[in-house]
Amino acid sequence: MVAFSLNGRNVELKVDPATPLLWVLRDHLGLTGTRFGCGMGLCGACTVHLDGAAIRSCSTPVSQAAGRSVTTIEGLGGDHPLQRAWVEHNVPQCGYCQSGQIMSAAALLASNPQPDEEHIRQAMSGNLCRCGTYHKVQRAILSVAAVEHWQPAAEDAS
Amino acid sequence: MSLTRRQFIRNVSVTGGALTLGFQLTACSGKPLQLGSEADFQPDAFLRIEPDGAIILQIPKAEMGQGVVTGMVTLVAEELEVHPERIGYAMAPVHSAFADPEMRLQITGGSASIRVYHEILRQVGATARETLVAAAMQQSGLDRASLEARDGRVRSTDGAVDLAYADLVAIARALPVASDVALKPADQWQWIGHYDQRVDAQAKTDGSARFGMDASPDGCLTAVLLRCPWFDGAVESFNAEQALEHPGVVAVFATEHGVAVVAEGYWPARQAAGKVEVTFTPPGGGLRDSAAITEALTTALDGDDFASVRDDPASTEAGQGTLVSGRYAVPFLAHAAMEPLNATCRLTEDGCEVWVGSQAPDLAQDAASRVLDVPREAVVIHNQFLGGGFGRRAAADNVAEVVAIARELKRPVKLVWSREDDMRHDWYRPPMAGAIEARVHADGSISHWQHRIAGPSINQQVLPVMMGAMLPQWIPGGPRQLVGDFVGKKDFASVEGSKELPYQFDGVSVSYHNVQVPVPLGYWRSVGHSHNAFVVESFVDELAHAAGVDPLEFRRKHLAADSRERRVLDAVAAAASWGNAPAGHYQGIAVHDSFQSCVAEVVEISLVDGKPKLEHVYCAIDCGQVINPDIVRDQMIGGIVFALSAALHGEITLKNGAVEQSNYHDYQLLRQTDTPPMTVVLVESAAPPTGVGEPGTPPAAPALANALFAATGERQRRLPLRMG
Repeated sequence: MVAFSLNGRNVELKVDPATPLLWVLRDHLGLTGTRFGCGMGLCGACTVHLDGAAIRSCSTPVSQAAGRSVTTIEGLGGDHPLQRAWVEHNVPQCGYCQSGQIMSAAALLASNPQPDEEHIRQAMSGNLCRCGTYHKVQRAILSVAAVEHWQPAAEDAS
Repeated sequence: MSLTRRQFIRNVSVTGGALTLGFQLTACSGKPLQLGSEADFQPDAFLRIEPDGAIILQIPKAEMGQGVVTGMVTLVAEELEVHPERIGYAMAPVHSAFADPEMRLQITGGSASIRVYHEILRQVGATARETLVAAAMQQSGLDRASLEARDGRVRSTDGAVDLAYADLVAIARALPVASDVALKPADQWQWIGHYDQRVDAQAKTDGSARFGMDASPDGCLTAVLLRCPWFDGAVESFNAEQALEHPGVVAVFATEHGVAVVAEGYWPARQAAGKVEVTFTPPGGGLRDSAAITEALTTALDGDDFASVRDDPASTEAGQGTLVSGRYAVPFLAHAAMEPLNATCRLTEDGCEVWVGSQAPDLAQDAASRVLDVPREAVVIHNQFLGGGFGRRAAADNVAEVVAIARELKRPVKLVWSREDDMRHDWYRPPMAGAIEARVHADGSISHWQHRIAGPSINQQVLPVMMGAMLPQWIPGGPRQLVGDFVGKKDFASVEGSKELPYQFDGVSVSYHNVQVPVPLGYWRSVGHSHNAFVVESFVDELAHAAGVDPLEFRRKHLAADSRERRVLDAVAAAASWGNAPAGHYQGIAVHDSFQSCVAEVVEISLVDGKPKLEHVYCAIDCGQVINPDIVRDQMIGGIVFALSAALHGEITLKNGAVEQSNYHDYQLLRQTDTPPMTVVLVESAAPPTGVGEPGTPPAAPALANALFAATGERQRRLPLRMG
């Protein structure tokens, strides 16, 4: 049995504890917003939050999530300031990597609410996008970072 | 629906500007098209309006990021007089009504979707609008001149009548469909050229977008497949004893494609696959190593066995002027889309259903029907969003594989490729070698341009497959392969972008030699243009330097004064302040026509510790009428990132017939930190729209190579470039 908090709700399931969190989310819990890209932590498509920090769920055994708090793209609620900025800036093309991009961006803003362009580039360099949406990713994050009154801390507080 | 509408013949013909549009619900594919319900207003195959006012457009093309859904919705919205976001959309099923009118296949490629469909879809919107207005005329007793369609309603000019489209569905569906409707003039467009959002952005931002990978019919198991590492091998024997003991494993068996390991989820399937021992049949003959292939291409260039595809004789004798020559080479490339290939299959009574993100759902249908030996109509394809396509998802190998697994398993199953499977079993952009020469004269003129291209033919392999889906199923493969072999001799895909050289040189010849390799080949964003633009525009730069003329001026001088090439060159030169780069920055320029659009790019670099650094890329495109300016800019930038990833890193190599690369660490793509700022200029044009998805890619590699020459004085004639 592995038990953890998922998007604010407790889940408990019987699963091989070595199973990567990605496949527990997708195959056991039906949360398909988290994407499989490389299986080696190289592309960032599977990024989720573990206690608020961005991790690669494809190479994180579910056992590491035991007793902790996991947030996926579904947990951001669809109306998160970053998600609104993503829509406003038309960031996605094929869209496959964007859940991971947004989760990395959300973790960045949680630790550094007002990053500059260079911070953003560095923090987002682990997320590949084959369509080449990097400029818009950067612009969308900057537009949210500029909103001073927004406090990103609440989302992963557990 | 009335019988008259059912009998409407789909006849999309654009002849001298006249366009008739309709469709037949029982088309030659044999199966009637069933979309929506009898209560809907459905004037043609593409559009239906439901009684509650929901508007749904069937998208006949694959959405792989290029924005085709948004573009198509915008075109219909303009004429239907609704906001684009009011139009819902669905990926069209396989049906002859949705076959591309030029290609006769339901295929997404050649950057053709908007070029081919822009007028058809405006007609769809206008036809529905006028039929709804006719319904309002019947309801109100007013004449056409007293009514206006706007914002999804039909109103009378005096305001007394005000009907939502939903209120008119019941009447409209019983009326004859409006014909000979007038399209709005461009100066009245509200959305075309102005709308700059994406209608699929929300779903792709909140995680709800459904890709092939997300399909999950009830009771669906997951399969992985152990394929032969070389492309001409098959399973000889296997031992699955240990794998079958792995928790969660349901079955292990061989198919014609490899050894399938089926389990309750991807992880147990993948873990168990590691415990299967497989012996494959030994590799056959042919070129099996990258070194041997490179040598074969070089040997071909040394010979004279070339098929001419263009031969404009020179007016002067050869032997005058200075001979300039160079040999160029580019490698195999993988597509490496972010979503690894996958497909899901459920057997039905007479065939099967398949969930897949496909650029060619009719090829997928054909592939599935051949595996099950059933009529094509017995296969239902549910097309999904594509997590990147770039040409890879026009092939249906993943579909054939999953259907074969389902055939044995007799349960719904999803086949998931690993990233390693995806990298090692691609349909690769073929390697190419080019020998190119020309004569530079004292007066600056150029003569005796000769480009010889040697490399494998994509169409020799792919055309027979496509024909399989177009011809009756009983026609055997042999004759189709003969056609492929014939086309392969002068493969138009191998020479595109060289054959159409736009420069006014005295004497141009282009020829090709097909070098066959035992490796699957496929279309890769911009196809032949991806390598020919590199060779041609690098060599034009060589000629400019040999002639002692500025590379921009050299190009302008040899292009027609009123040409599109000159216009985009001037636009990009202005944007980049050509000739006035900041101190320590170096610029390279290139211009290239592809998919009926024309793009020029300037790549600006600096040298940091002797190593080149990308500083900025400037791009100008003439793609005719722009539908969505933001999407065109994104496609240019995306195409450039795609090209620069290949120019700097892209190389697939073979050893003993197997691909050596496996994942993003040894097949690298540009990342956020590697991508320079970019500026895109859309050259204004009222000409009909042309390609956008691919034309941004070809000029980037030569512009970069030319910038490197400007910075270092060294000419790089191979891709990937060696940067310092």
